[in-house]
Amino acid sequence: MEEDGNQKKHRKRQAGPKAEKKKAKSKHQQELTPQQRNPKAFAIQHAQKTAKLIRRTQDIKTKKQHIPIVDRTPLEPPPIVVAIVGPPKVGKSTLLQCIVKNFTKQRLANVQGPVTVVSGKTRRLTLVECNNDINSMIDLAKVADLVLLLVDASFGFEMETFEFLNICQVHGFPKIMGVLTHLDAFKDNKQMRKTKKRLKHRFWTEVYQGAKLFYLSGMVNEEYQKTEVHNLCRFISVMKFRPLQWRLTHPYIVVDRIEDITDPETIRQKPKCDRKMSMYGYVRGTHLKNHSMIHLPGCGDYTISDMQSLPDPCPMPDKEKKKTLHVKERLIYAPMSGVGGVIYDKDAVYIDLGGSHSLKQNEEENEAPMNELVASLMNVNNPLDQKMTTSQMTLFSNTAPITEADVQEDDKDDDEDEDEESARVRRSAEFNATTNEKQGKQTEDLVFDDSDDEDDDEPFNLFSNSMKKQTVSNSDRKKKTGENKDTESNSDSNSDSDSEEDELASKKPKLSRTSKSSDSSVTGAKVTPSQKGKSVNTNISPDGISDNSDSEMEDSGMEEDDDELEGEESGEEEEEDDSGEDDSEEEREEDEDEGNLKWKTNIAAAAAESFKRRQTERINYRKLIYGTAEVEDKEEDEEDELGGLFKVLKKKDEKNNPQSSANLTDSSKCVPDKLQNWELEEIQDLIRDCFVTGEWDKSEDAKARLEQDDELFGDFEDLETGEVHHGEGEDDDEDDNNNEEEDDGDEPTERKKTKAEKTATERRMEKKKKLKELFDNEYDMKGDNEFYDSWKQANEEQAKLNRAEFENMEDSLRVGYEGFRPGMYVRVEMDRLPCELINNFDPSYPLLLGGQQSVEGNIGYVQTRIKKHRWYKKILKSRNPLIISLGWRRFQSIPLYSIQDHNMRNRLLKYTPQHLHCHASFWGPITPQGTGLLAVESLTGNEPGFRIAATGVVLELDKSMQIVKKLKLTGTPYKIFKKTAFIQGMFNSILEVTKFEGAKIRTVSGLRGQVKKALRNPEGAFRATFEDKILLSDIVFMRTWYPVEVPQFYATVTSLLLPPAEKAAWTGMKTLGQLKRERGITAPMKEDSQYKPVERKKRYEPTLKIPKDLQKMLPFKDTPKVLKEKGDPYKRVAVILEPHEAKVNKMMKMVKNLYHHKLKSDKMRMRERVSKHQKEMDRIGVLKSRKQKQVKKDIYRALGKLQKKNEKYKKD
Amino acid sequence: MSGANLITFEGCNYFRQRLILATLSGKTVRIKKIRSKEDDPGLKDFEASFIRLLDKLTNGSNIIVNETGTSIMYQPGLLIGGKIEHECNTQRSIGYYLEGLTCLAPFTKKPIHAVLQGVTNDQIDPSVDMIKLSSFPVLKRFLGTDEGLELKIIRRGAAPDGGGEVTFSCPCRQKLRPLQFTDPGKIKRIRGVAWAVRVAPVVTNRIVDSARSILNKFIPDIYIYTDHYKGSQSGKSPGFGLTLVAETMNGAFLCAELSSNPKGSDKGPSVPEDIGKDTAKLLLEEIYKGGCVDSTNQSMTALFMILGQQDVSKVQTGPLTPYTIQFLRHIYDFFDVMFKVEPQQVSEENEDLRTGGEKLILTCVGVGYSNISKAVS
Repeated sequence: MEEDGNQKKHRKRQAGPKAEKKKAKSKHQQELTPQQRNPKAFAIQHAQKTAKLIRRTQDIKTKKQHIPIVDRTPLEPPPIVVAIVGPPKVGKSTLLQCIVKNFTKQRLANVQGPVTVVSGKTRRLTLVECNNDINSMIDLAKVADLVLLLVDASFGFEMETFEFLNICQVHGFPKIMGVLTHLDAFKDNKQMRKTKKRLKHRFWTEVYQGAKLFYLSGMVNEEYQKTEVHNLCRFISVMKFRPLQWRLTHPYIVVDRIEDITDPETIRQKPKCDRKMSMYGYVRGTHLKNHSMIHLPGCGDYTISDMQSLPDPCPMPDKEKKKTLHVKERLIYAPMSGVGGVIYDKDAVYIDLGGSHSLKQNEEENEAPMNELVASLMNVNNPLDQKMTTSQMTLFSNTAPITEADVQEDDKDDDEDEDEESARVRRSAEFNATTNEKQGKQTEDLVFDDSDDEDDDEPFNLFSNSMKKQTVSNSDRKKKTGENKDTESNSDSNSDSDSEEDELASKKPKLSRTSKSSDSSVTGAKVTPSQKGKSVNTNISPDGISDNSDSEMEDSGMEEDDDELEGEESGEEEEEDDSGEDDSEEEREEDEDEGNLKWKTNIAAAAAESFKRRQTERINYRKLIYGTAEVEDKEEDEEDELGGLFKVLKKKDEKNNPQSSANLTDSSKCVPDKLQNWELEEIQDLIRDCFVTGEWDKSEDAKARLEQDDELFGDFEDLETGEVHHGEGEDDDEDDNNNEEEDDGDEPTERKKTKAEKTATERRMEKKKKLKELFDNEYDMKGDNEFYDSWKQANEEQAKLNRAEFENMEDSLRVGYEGFRPGMYVRVEMDRLPCELINNFDPSYPLLLGGQQSVEGNIGYVQTRIKKHRWYKKILKSRNPLIISLGWRRFQSIPLYSIQDHNMRNRLLKYTPQHLHCHASFWGPITPQGTGLLAVESLTGNEPGFRIAATGVVLELDKSMQIVKKLKLTGTPYKIFKKTAFIQGMFNSILEVTKFEGAKIRTVSGLRGQVKKALRNPEGAFRATFEDKILLSDIVFMRTWYPVEVPQFYATVTSLLLPPAEKAAWTGMKTLGQLKRERGITAPMKEDSQYKPVERKKRYEPTLKIPKDLQKMLPFKDTPKVLKEKGDPYKRVAVILEPHEAKVNKMMKMVKNLYHHKLKSDKMRMRERVSKHQKEMDRIGVLKSRKQKQVKKDIYRALGKLQKKNEKYKKD
Repeated sequence: MSGANLITFEGCNYFRQRLILATLSGKTVRIKKIRSKEDDPGLKDFEASFIRLLDKLTNGSNIIVNETGTSIMYQPGLLIGGKIEHECNTQRSIGYYLEGLTCLAPFTKKPIHAVLQGVTNDQIDPSVDMIKLSSFPVLKRFLGTDEGLELKIIRRGAAPDGGGEVTFSCPCRQKLRPLQFTDPGKIKRIRGVAWAVRVAPVVTNRIVDSARSILNKFIPDIYIYTDHYKGSQSGKSPGFGLTLVAETMNGAFLCAELSSNPKGSDKGPSVPEDIGKDTAKLLLEEIYKGGCVDSTNQSMTALFMILGQQDVSKVQTGPLTPYTIQFLRHIYDFFDVMFKVEPQQVSEENEDLRTGGEKLILTCVGVGYSNISKAVS
């Protein structure tokens, strides 16, 4: 027992091999989920709470969903545009240099324009620095994928930073990464930390919570710290981007190279002539089509005259399984900064040999003493050859004069000799699909005669234009690429046409494409680098006529040329449609080829053959539809003249003249000329299988599929009985016909035949299982967001199709179908650009090409929803010009602000409301609805404060606008009856009144009424009725709405055309206020509006008039006492008295006076006497009353005593 | 700005195409030499009527016709739509105008409700029945639904005097859907309308019988409605005709029609039996050509395909009609879009199926067109 007690209890091994072994042996298998094991614990306890919870989870889930869009990102995307933005002196250039150095290990001393670098195995970057101009900021915000927003931490945020953030918000928010610099300016560590935190939180409120903010602490040798830059670069190269709506639908190019390819001679003659320029860059956004509309922000609208794709100057590294990039793959391409060495053009390669060499050359040229004679020669406006071409000579009367062009055609050899003399570099032609398709339009491009060559001598121009570049001739390039074996024959481009033709015939496979000139001479065979690889694949036919019908099946893409014998056509279109064999077409063309003599030798044979082919072969639709339109070559020679004056117009023979179809009936209904004979059984059989009753193809045919199924699943062995069943088609026909739902009753009986062994319950179970599955599929498995998922899936499928459709097609051909896809490096040629663009070119200003739909080139009224920016100090006034950035454009226009009333009326506002959205309508470019816009009042940065005046979004586009302003018409009543009044002063004529009959009117006091009918007199007066009697003193008014015209003013901001110093200060139309301020004009004051001292009129009190009848009835005291009119005292006759009379008069006066005095004193005395008497009387009265009182007292006393006595007596 | 956007053409053929494409692309178009060498030069009445219809449909259009009418310049405005009433010229049937209208209808500011008066059926243009039966299913695929898409024949009017009236309404869209329709499937039923105005009602029955006599050999599911109009609904001149449509499993509609010779034509009166038989044969011919859209609707399909988003659209058609070929050329002129046209590859195992003539696959990438007239809130 003791032992037992002492013995240790066995402890299982917790770790080690033994434990693991055990664990492996007794693996705990949890076959039930907790919910299944303990369902009560998961039961719903509180219904309300659960409902809330479910709602919340659903809310969160739905919030995460975005509207699915088709993913259109190209397989090889263009470099990511990284814009480095910030106020001046914040370290932008240094950062750019550091980034470039980090990626390429090169130090760029002077960065100008965009710099493209390879940043990783799948990513390239185009770095652009943004200068401190709001124009550049706006343009760059539209194209940047990533913005590095530099902030000087020692200073804090500047106005430019906020302006730029706001610009970004309007034009689709690109990714923004903040970078704090100048952190070494802080001496105090705590201060720095505080600042960092403060800036970070401010930045977060602007961008989003948790936006990345980088700190670049301190500089080492004028550069940022290597590790910090490296980290920043790593962040950039793994960043993901959200697609932005505008850029998904609009192609654009950030131009990284620009060349002026105008003829130098025309520039010399007219230095301000319109220029032809070629611009280079990666296509971004979406597909860019040749000949499409382009907007150059800061310049204007243009169309692409031509466009080619070039080999990528900064290609993505090869797909190799390597961790880091090879040194050779760390490419940099910045032509504007003069980096990159080799530059590819469409027909030449330029190698930069360094600045000093070319500079010297330039200087020499400039310093060379000008010979006067030479100078005079150089200034000749029309050189001799030009004069020659323009001069005409008439040989016979009645014939057209002969010009030089005519002569050229005749003696081509001479011309070519001239070519030799001029020693110009021969231009190789670029053949891509677009030129092919445009054959009809641009025959010049394809015709290789020399007259054409003279026209476009771009290499020459380039050479002479830019002395920096050394042209490598076409042939040299070919040598380099090593594609062309017989360089010898090609290298001397001066060989005459005959020898060339021979050569061409021999080296046909290398030529990418033939083109046929109308005059049978082919003088050029040119290879573009991109096409070389493909052209090598062309079948080399031994010689003679190759049998095309035979080869049709094998090589669908390649075509052989049967015209080789003739040695006239030197190649073949290898970019033919895959099945497109089209010799018949070509031969037809040849038929018209009149200059060809060799051809005539076997005319009969060829004709027979072509006929045969036409019958058997398929049509090349591409050529049929987009091929050359037959040129109307026949001049109207056979013009009959009537009397030498009138021409008789003749309808030409319909069959011969292709142009005759121009005036046929226009109907989409296609009535076949000849019906097939549908009565015949064979003909009917041709379409037998078009109907459900006909045969089905294998994949769809129910019968065939059944058989297939049976082979797979028909065999089974019944384990119980050991029987082996072999599936046979006929047996299982009904079983798998997937019509279980239809005939439930029949099924078991049918099954009995085949699966007799199965019990009824088993069968029933099986059936139930199937039904359950069906039900589940339909309802349970779909999930909550089934609609969303299916939408997403449809988009994915579309994206897959978009990618797959043209995937294996050759680029030159593909471009024709979908345009130049994003990621391609292209050269865009444009005509008629203003010379200021190149003369005042400044690489620090970004140059963009914004592609647009053809509709977007039109102008109309644009209605937008706009809000004045809350940081902008002023409010905006209607009819004040405003600079607007919308779509690709920046332009000035005159907006009218309006607000929508409840009855959808657009009421004009004089000023924008303070904190409210309103509508702004202006005359501007048609831009799709939903596009953001931004408005500034002036572009110059010299004013303090926030420059962005308003932001908004496009709502509607139209060619007319309905904006109204309120207009109150007032009138006064001049006659009032009970509820009717005659009102005047509101209108001027009867006609006006009749227009407003029935209109509502109102008085100031609020009585409502209606216009009834015009009155004859006075003019414009009318009868109106009111709901009550109005007063004569009332003012009657009518509220009307007057339509306001939006001013048709639209001016593009042409900031790029200004000289560099003025670029940042484009001023368009000025506001009235600005003009007045400039010229010191004050606003005109109306006399009425001026304040005057108040003059109050004296109140006039009217006299009281009492009618006579009333007067009679009044008592006398109330009657107005009309005093007798006194005669005017002065009107009396003056009496001059005699001295005697005067003495008498004086005596009388004195007596009178004495008498008066006596009377007066008597009266005085009398008054004294009276008063004395009165006093006396008063005194006597007092005494009397006292006596009386005493008497009364005594009497009452006696009476009282008597009464007491009486009462006493009574009691007793 | 309009200078860069100007396209010049010659001749009056494909007049509608040019104006429609100009309206949609916003490019100005100038057509010169319209019947300049004919005895009766210049625009005909029906073309002028079409221009007037366009003018009603748009806002801000600028149309300049020279004195003789041999040259016209059209600067398009924006499509407005809404309620429109138009008296179509009787030289051409309503189909002529309606075809143009259907091409523009999805891109208007307000949904279109048009009342068109004129000839409903003639021999040159697709009749209103045909448009209803074969164009609407195609339009529906681009619009997504056929809600609000309606064509009602209120009065029927045969050529030459007309007197018919139809109402057409179509919803407008911001964007069209891309189309992938390369397998029409097999024909499951044939439907049709045999119509007659101002003739004995028995004519329709005669047409139906004769048409059935041919079609019954192919498929049993045939139903041809007889549509006889009386009184005020029957227009001004007598006539009869038949429109047949074959519907496939996947919803492709192939349509063929014929109508009687107009009153006073030099060909003499038509026989109903002939009309029935010939229409049936025409339908068989159409089936022989095949495709997911019939030959009349090829151009409209092509138009809506390029006016979609920047997605690939694919459609199978029969051989292209000259009208379509010219339309594709015009599309290239106006929108710079090329179609990839190639014969459909028939797989090895299906080679022995007798499904008529060669089929083509038309592929294109949309230009990313969106309705710029429609307002967004």
